[in-house]
Amino acid sequence: QTVTISGVVTDGATADPLPGVSVVLKGTSTGTSTDFDGNYQIEANMGDVLIFSYIGFERIEITVTSTNHNVSLNEDLQRLDEVVVIGYGTTTVKDATGSVASITAEEFNQGNIVTPENLLNGRVAGVSINTGGEPGSGSTIRIRGGSSLGASNDPLIVIDGLPIDNVSIGGSRSILSTINPNEIESFSVLKDASATAIYGSRASNGVIIISTKKGKRELSVDLNMSIGSSVVPNTLDVFSADEYRQLVSNERPDLVPLLGNAKTRWQDEIYRSALTSNQNLSIQGSLLKKVPARLSIGRTLQDGLRLTSEFERNSGSLSLNPNMFNDHLKVSLNVNGSFEKNRFAPGEEGNAIRFDPTQPVYDEKSPFGGYFQYTNINDDGVLDENDLVGLAPFNPVANLLQRNDISEVKRFYGNLKLDYSFHFLPELSAVVNLGYDEQRAEGDVKVSNLNPLTQNDGSIVGSESNYTNYQKNVLLDGYLRYDKDGDRFDFDLTTGYSFQKFDSNQYTSGELLDDGADTAPVLNIDPDLVLIGLFARTNISWADKYLLTLSYRRDGTSRFSEDNRWGNFPAAAFAWQISDEFFPEARGLSTLKLRLGWGITGQQDIGRANSALFRSRYVQGLPASQYQFGGVNYPVGIPSFRNENIKWEETVAYNAGIDFGFAEDRITGSIDAFYKESKDLLANADISDGSNFSNSGFQNIGNFTSQGIEFAIGGDVVESAENDGFNWVLNYNATYIETEIQELALDQDQLVGDIGGGVGNTIQINRVGYTPYSFYVYRQVYNAQGNPIEGAYADLNGDNIINNDDRYIFKNGAPDITMGLLSNMGYKSFDLTFSLRASLGNYVYNNVNSAGAQLNLIQNNSVLSNLPVTVTDTNFTNTPDVILSDYYMENASFLKVDNISLGYTFDDVLNSRSTLRLFSSVQNVLTITNYSGLDPEVFDNGIDNTIYPRARTILLGANLRF
Amino acid sequence: CTGELDVLPEDPDTFLVEDFYTTPESYLQGLAGVYGNLSLTGAEGPDNSNISGLDAGTSQYGRGLWNTQELTTDEVLWSWENDPGTRELNRNIWSADNVILRGLFGRAMTQVAFSNEYLRQTSDDVLDSRGVDAGTKDAIVTYRAEVRFLRALAYYHMMDLFGKAGFITEEDPIGAFQSPEYNRAELFAFIESELMAIIPDLIAPMENDYGRVDKSGAWMLLAKLYLNAEVFIGENRYAGCIQYCEQIIGAGYELAPNYLHVFMADNHQGSARNEIIFPVLSDGVVTQNYGPTTLMINGQVGSVEQNGGDFGVGSGGWGGALRVTRQFSELMLNGTYDTDDRNTLIIGDRPIDLIPVNNNGTGYVIGKWSNINSDGSPASATEIVDTDFPMFRLADVYLMYAEAQLRGGGGSLATAVGYFNELRTRANNPNTISSSDLTLDLILEERLVELHWEGHRRQDLIRFNNYTSSYNWSWKGNAPNGIPISESRKLFPIPNASLSANPNLTQNEGY
Repeated sequence: QTVTISGVVTDGATADPLPGVSVVLKGTSTGTSTDFDGNYQIEANMGDVLIFSYIGFERIEITVTSTNHNVSLNEDLQRLDEVVVIGYGTTTVKDATGSVASITAEEFNQGNIVTPENLLNGRVAGVSINTGGEPGSGSTIRIRGGSSLGASNDPLIVIDGLPIDNVSIGGSRSILSTINPNEIESFSVLKDASATAIYGSRASNGVIIISTKKGKRELSVDLNMSIGSSVVPNTLDVFSADEYRQLVSNERPDLVPLLGNAKTRWQDEIYRSALTSNQNLSIQGSLLKKVPARLSIGRTLQDGLRLTSEFERNSGSLSLNPNMFNDHLKVSLNVNGSFEKNRFAPGEEGNAIRFDPTQPVYDEKSPFGGYFQYTNINDDGVLDENDLVGLAPFNPVANLLQRNDISEVKRFYGNLKLDYSFHFLPELSAVVNLGYDEQRAEGDVKVSNLNPLTQNDGSIVGSESNYTNYQKNVLLDGYLRYDKDGDRFDFDLTTGYSFQKFDSNQYTSGELLDDGADTAPVLNIDPDLVLIGLFARTNISWADKYLLTLSYRRDGTSRFSEDNRWGNFPAAAFAWQISDEFFPEARGLSTLKLRLGWGITGQQDIGRANSALFRSRYVQGLPASQYQFGGVNYPVGIPSFRNENIKWEETVAYNAGIDFGFAEDRITGSIDAFYKESKDLLANADISDGSNFSNSGFQNIGNFTSQGIEFAIGGDVVESAENDGFNWVLNYNATYIETEIQELALDQDQLVGDIGGGVGNTIQINRVGYTPYSFYVYRQVYNAQGNPIEGAYADLNGDNIINNDDRYIFKNGAPDITMGLLSNMGYKSFDLTFSLRASLGNYVYNNVNSAGAQLNLIQNNSVLSNLPVTVTDTNFTNTPDVILSDYYMENASFLKVDNISLGYTFDDVLNSRSTLRLFSSVQNVLTITNYSGLDPEVFDNGIDNTIYPRARTILLGANLRF
Repeated sequence: CTGELDVLPEDPDTFLVEDFYTTPESYLQGLAGVYGNLSLTGAEGPDNSNISGLDAGTSQYGRGLWNTQELTTDEVLWSWENDPGTRELNRNIWSADNVILRGLFGRAMTQVAFSNEYLRQTSDDVLDSRGVDAGTKDAIVTYRAEVRFLRALAYYHMMDLFGKAGFITEEDPIGAFQSPEYNRAELFAFIESELMAIIPDLIAPMENDYGRVDKSGAWMLLAKLYLNAEVFIGENRYAGCIQYCEQIIGAGYELAPNYLHVFMADNHQGSARNEIIFPVLSDGVVTQNYGPTTLMINGQVGSVEQNGGDFGVGSGGWGGALRVTRQFSELMLNGTYDTDDRNTLIIGDRPIDLIPVNNNGTGYVIGKWSNINSDGSPASATEIVDTDFPMFRLADVYLMYAEAQLRGGGGSLATAVGYFNELRTRANNPNTISSSDLTLDLILEERLVELHWEGHRRQDLIRFNNYTSSYNWSWKGNAPNGIPISESRKLFPIPNASLSANPNLTQNEGY
């Protein structure tokens, strides 16, 4: 007897109603789906079986026994059904054809995470993230090593469909520092061209798609708080005051009179232990009982290790996700505001390393605010340059405390997405996404008049200037999607248009305490950057076993001339579910999928300064760059470097991968091999002299390849049957990457890699046949005892002259292999997490030693100067004789324990749904390395010229949910 | 709406070419751009450069000339040998990868490119199409002649230093055009014919705005061409040298009564102005650059003496960057120049030899240059100096005349001796000479005394065949007391980067 069955379908975890759940009478094509409130109604007979299915949730079958069946669906923890956000749409891990990694909240890194990208540092094979030690510091992010030589190697970052500017606004710490990590629901990392090519022009370096948290119906409140203390893990080993006295009397007895009486550890003086705190509150629920909404506010305070350094972020976000017209129109509105405040501390590391340890920090007789300074007071009534010891360094502590360099950055960003499925043809939907991102930074830099800083005319009056920077980016995407699920044949097609425009300008006041013409304000307005794309993608699958994706994008950029501005970026990918084909019922090897991908992506990002190289531009001299005719000043007018033929750099990428799963996918993993070839590389290269308005400029100059293998595996090592038994989840990934320059126009070498010690000195080279940024050094000669002989280099070309022609290529700063490991353990109410990262085969040029560990440097003009103690290993005396020696190359492989976190969760705190988790974590726990410098993880392709130390932070926190 | 892709500059200091040349003033700004390239490294201050491959300040035109003409000789050494390229110049062991050579090659050829562009933008057709008025067009005739002078000057430097250049004019395209190579003889002929052609359009001597070249600048360049013609093209052209020296001297230039005033912060005015024929300007505020005068004044400050205050710069200067060789010191101390204003040696407790090179307390320093005004008042800033670089000045003309006279170019020996003695007298040196005393060797010595650190020495030593073999100085050939070097070092190598960017160029012998 046919009856009407009704009920509500809810999310087993949150008890939220689930709209859109498919309810099908088993064995028939009869079915319906739940409405917005999760209600369904279906005609069936007693004893029939109903199938409830919903993407991302476990499918449930129930036998009809009454007219009312409320069903709760549990999230499918089998990651293969996980929804993965990709460009202009979503897919599932199971259906993905490209190399895409999805990291959701539960896999995020824990601990003191200040900027969003650190949630996934070490988590994804092929993605390296290198973050500085400053509070709120930005990161160098590389996906598969980047693919460019002179253009940007930064991945495209897309937040809720809005690609953001990869240039940080001046005054902000980084492009992502204004974004609260707590707002992030998931990351998708698109690695291979078949996945990224839909973003065409900006996809060569991979894409990171960030999805923010969205509103839900059920009321819940989430409160996160943490507080922590950061310390400097270690400082560079220099001579102590007593050791230094000994050194001076041994090496330079003539300088003994210059020694002071104090014992100062300057590196300790410029650092402090710093506080960090974090509060986040989010509320979600239905607004007006109709609109799923989420409101959240967050506040992060982080003091830097360097005296005075501060970062503060206040953010708020609102997300509304109503569905209308019987779910035909899905609206998603995300509005985010953030207010970042900074105080920047100048880099005094080098100064602190060198400052004479026998001099005091304070000197009560000093006219400079009570800080010790090297003076030569001439009692002429004014304190000016003539009262200072020439070329003597300034007290690093005073430089920090007497400088107030502050900024405020306001950022407003968000998007409105309308997704309408047509009433007459539900398979067809139209999507419009409008994005907006505006940032304004104001900064003010003051140096006290008690600091010995001198103006251009030699006066000491302090310094003052301010700046205002502005950056805006607007996006309009519109696309149509047709999605037809057949019996065995599924097909979808997405096609659309994308418009994006970037605006930016910078104003600086110049020195306000000097009224000279050269300190007049300067306003710089960058040319707008406009990018227009037309794209289409289709996914075709047969019997869920054979999956084919084809995509195509045509992109235009305002950077290139009309003849060169359009680029075409096709891609194709094929996947084959081998396990479904041959052993669908196997439980041991539960998943085996082969993926093959190919695609072409483009690159045009050569920096704002190079936005219009194809035009005939003249630049007018600033007030400091004028020429005088008969005493009258004329700002010079000079033509700028011009390249009318500049065009797209293109990267062709191939990817082959296997996804596997064992034991009913308790353990899953993947292996990917990739090969990328970038051609028509955009790089600043030498140009035939006299033919242009420089000796070099951006040109399409060569080819570059990278290849690598990525491996990831993860799963439940121990899975307890009971809810509160012992569970252990491990995730591990490893990446091997090799890059090589295949061709440079006319075989021109490029000298790169600026170092300290000598004005304009470089240590690296780009040369055909080698990895970019390979070190270019002299070969050190050693004596019979194995000690380096000062100034003795091998005469590699045998011409009896040791000059530039004897330099050779030795290693590079890129690691051969990187690895990441994340462990999550749970037992009863305890959870324990730790994460590790390793890097193997990365070499560092120790510029701190090469430019600082020579005995002649004891004398710094008329004052004394400290040295790294490594000088006693070599007893080298003269910097120019040794600075380019391969002696200073070091293998800087490392293993880092990034974080250990321990938590305890109390249930039923306020009511039956509430939980309280208390946790403690240590960040930057341990580094194991043979590298002799401060930290083997350096920037600038492996050149270590002092870094802002990375803090070790101990954190205590609480997370309350109800 | 793909039209949105046509984006135009919005920056207040950036213009499309058609928006730049809109006023009579703009043609002077364009002219200032070409002149400015002698002094400025870019449009955005002294740390900005439109030449890459080396430090911005080091890419300055005059500094490149100074480095190549001075560091490679017996006059001076650069102490900070970890500054790329300097060690190789100090010790005459440079390679074709030397960044200073690359920078100068690029800078001089970019001057050719700037000149060509100015000539393109001021052709009659272009001016007519813009409706430029007759008065402006008249002025532009002179500007164009001056720009052609600057281009000839750049080719002259290329010919002297590298012995060749890619030859490119306003007729050639902008971009990556690979120009044909001109050898010394071809460049010589071009420079000579250009100068002859523009002289009628140049303003009469001493009548142009200070900073702009006049007829005497072109005459001077011709005189230098002819004085060195035996080196450049193997021909005796001394008569031409005499002719143009005479024209310059006859034009009314006068030696400044005080030798040192020529090298002070206000040398753009007063008596120095009457001696300087063609300056490269510098100003601590409006023409900021790290060129030769800023380099010399900060560089001559002794690391021991901390005497920057005496020269109007920071007391430490650049930490003792410049010191003179033993041979330089010995000449100054040979008895002839004891009271001579041109002998500014500072000795103190310093040893005369620069051994080891890196000890800035060895070797003597000097105090010829200053960033203080002749009345003792301070200049506008204390690092970047106001002192202009006298590229051409009358004292040089006097000694060129004397040399060309001795080498058989005509003129009068008595006049030559008179000029020679005038220089000594002006410097308060009582040791005047008679006709029989005047020898070529004495002229070479006197050129060092009178013109040291002014960017002439390498050319002089080569012209006198003293550069590579017969005469040694501290650290020549990388030996503490100097050793002979290969003949091939009379020319610098074509930088590897330039060679590969323009395969029409050929490398000089020996590199």
